[in-house]
Amino acid sequence: MTAADVTSDSNLAALRPPASNAGFSHRSRSRALRNLVARVVMWLAFLIALVPLVWILWSVVTKGGALLLNSTWWTNSQRGITDRMVGGGAAHAIEGTLIEALATAVMAVPIGVMTAIYLVEYGRGRLANIVSFMVDILTGIPSIVAALFIYAVWVTTFGFQRVGFAVCLALVLLMIPVIVRSTEEMLKLVHNDLREASYALGVPKWKTIARVVVPTAFSGIITGILLGLARIMGETAPLLILGPYTKDIATDIFGGLVPTLPTMINQDRTEVLQPAVDRVWGAAMTLILIILLLNIAGRLVSRLGAPKT
Amino acid sequence: MKIQSRRRIANVTGVALVGTLALAGCGSNNNTTATSSGSSSTSASSTGCATGTLSGEGSTAQKNAIDQAITDYQTTCPGATVNYNGTGSGAGVKQFTAGQVAFGGSDSALKSVPVAGATVTEQAAADKACGSPAWDIPMVTGPIAVVYNVKGVSKLILTPAVSAKIFNGVITTWNDPAIAAINPGVTLPATAIKVFFRSDSSGTTENFTKYLAAAAPTAWTAASGKTWTGKGEGKQASSGVSNAVKATDGGITYTEWSYAKDDQLAMAQIDNGGGPVELTAPAVSQALSLAKQAGTGNNIILKLDYTTKAPGAYPILLVTYEIACSKGKDAAKAKLLQSFLKSFASSGEQAKLVTIGYAPLPANIQGQVNTAIAALS
Repeated sequence: MTAADVTSDSNLAALRPPASNAGFSHRSRSRALRNLVARVVMWLAFLIALVPLVWILWSVVTKGGALLLNSTWWTNSQRGITDRMVGGGAAHAIEGTLIEALATAVMAVPIGVMTAIYLVEYGRGRLANIVSFMVDILTGIPSIVAALFIYAVWVTTFGFQRVGFAVCLALVLLMIPVIVRSTEEMLKLVHNDLREASYALGVPKWKTIARVVVPTAFSGIITGILLGLARIMGETAPLLILGPYTKDIATDIFGGLVPTLPTMINQDRTEVLQPAVDRVWGAAMTLILIILLLNIAGRLVSRLGAPKT
Repeated sequence: MKIQSRRRIANVTGVALVGTLALAGCGSNNNTTATSSGSSSTSASSTGCATGTLSGEGSTAQKNAIDQAITDYQTTCPGATVNYNGTGSGAGVKQFTAGQVAFGGSDSALKSVPVAGATVTEQAAADKACGSPAWDIPMVTGPIAVVYNVKGVSKLILTPAVSAKIFNGVITTWNDPAIAAINPGVTLPATAIKVFFRSDSSGTTENFTKYLAAAAPTAWTAASGKTWTGKGEGKQASSGVSNAVKATDGGITYTEWSYAKDDQLAMAQIDNGGGPVELTAPAVSQALSLAKQAGTGNNIILKLDYTTKAPGAYPILLVTYEIACSKGKDAAKAKLLQSFLKSFASSGEQAKLVTIGYAPLPANIQGQVNTAIAALS
């Protein structure tokens, strides 16, 4: 307690201006201190959160970066390459990953976007509540459960072979809720004025949605789709259960095994032989790169296409 | 403005999609830089090529061997593709019975007695999946090395009883009189013994503990099985235990020969009573040739004699099988499987496996295996 504090307490009325001054400077000091503490804690938290990220990137780049500079990495498969040989590439896995992601998107995007349009534009009452609730549940499904569900249906019940398409089905389950939620948010952002203006001109509701609402939210929807794609590309559980690895280039998702980057990583992750270990890191880095590119594309699209108001 | 930017996005996405598809169109399976030397030409002459795609799954113990065999087979027969996923023996049997793979890889033959909790036997389930008897065909012999890391000790002899006492923690230092007695002329330090074991469920553990239980029934008191019940410190996978021994003075563990070779670890000689035997390919084949056929006809189930006192026979080993339908449902696939297995069992290919830590099949068993493969249809 300083002298100023004591005086200000005892002689409030008489000494108000200097007392409040003193009190103000005192309080501001403690505020400054708290501010400082909060700032330090925040920065520390930020740095701590950054440590694993930088660490991961650093080890992936240093251990797997060299392989990616090799041109065969992008053009060749692993056919005929055993764990003790150097060589080959990841073209088969990269292609497989992209093809499965595309096939998944072809199925998940229309369903997801339509569901979102229904929820935002039409959904009233019990059905909408149920749909919304189901999407919430779908969001919470762990990928391994989605994979086992598809395995139970595809393999156990129907007796089909494990093929790339089955993986896509499991990924669809994981991608739909992401797309529904992001599209929903984007559609909600569209001003009601736009819809009302359209109705006022006598445009029917479906046309308003198709010509006004969706185009306005288009870039946001695309961003959501790209982020959804990035999410499913790194998904591993469905691949482990439904999509065994092959070293060959295989693009027929209905006819056989399709190799992907996550299964390529899984295949050799327990190996001790250096060529195989290098390839694991290389594949990890390739996967990170592809997903990074997708995320950047998502950001670019949302920036370029942001609705001008 | 808005519409323009939208078009631009549509263009960008379009280009990206087309680019992806275009990229998916290229890519090459031709890794000609990888030269495969040696006996691939001999297996070429003995193998009639088939075409198509074949998938197998199972034991990790034979993964390196089968990878090598696949590479050589595909070099000889460019029209064929064989896939093998090392997911473990249990998964291999399961996927085979579910009809998901053309052949399964397993460290143990299909069981003819129901395992706990199951109503049908593995053999019956596999037969049902095939619509014909399923055969176990031994293909790869994986010796198990007892590897150690003791400074200044480059030669070590172990008897079953001493091994068992080391691995269940009765003997705790390297200069224990029991070890010294069977290693005359070797100066053993007073370093503490650090036992490492596989913390994951493993066929290697199963075979090693089976060996201890059979060869040293009084000294080995723990149970044998896929999970370790002795003493020590657990490490994940063969690479884990091998690396741990490499890094620890006084360390000892059991691991596949290929890992011992790759990590350049010192291997103990095993003395079952017929003199110390070093781990070499002929010593393993010698022990395997003494195994008894416990199956019927072309279903070849080998019963190993862990207690063998035959001089020059290395007793700790595991045999991995390929499980296949005697009559394949898909004729083309069955032909490809037969052609691939024939190349795998050929003397040239089997001899080649020695360099990567597997022992070739002995002549008497190779003969039975070839008969079984020829009978596949």
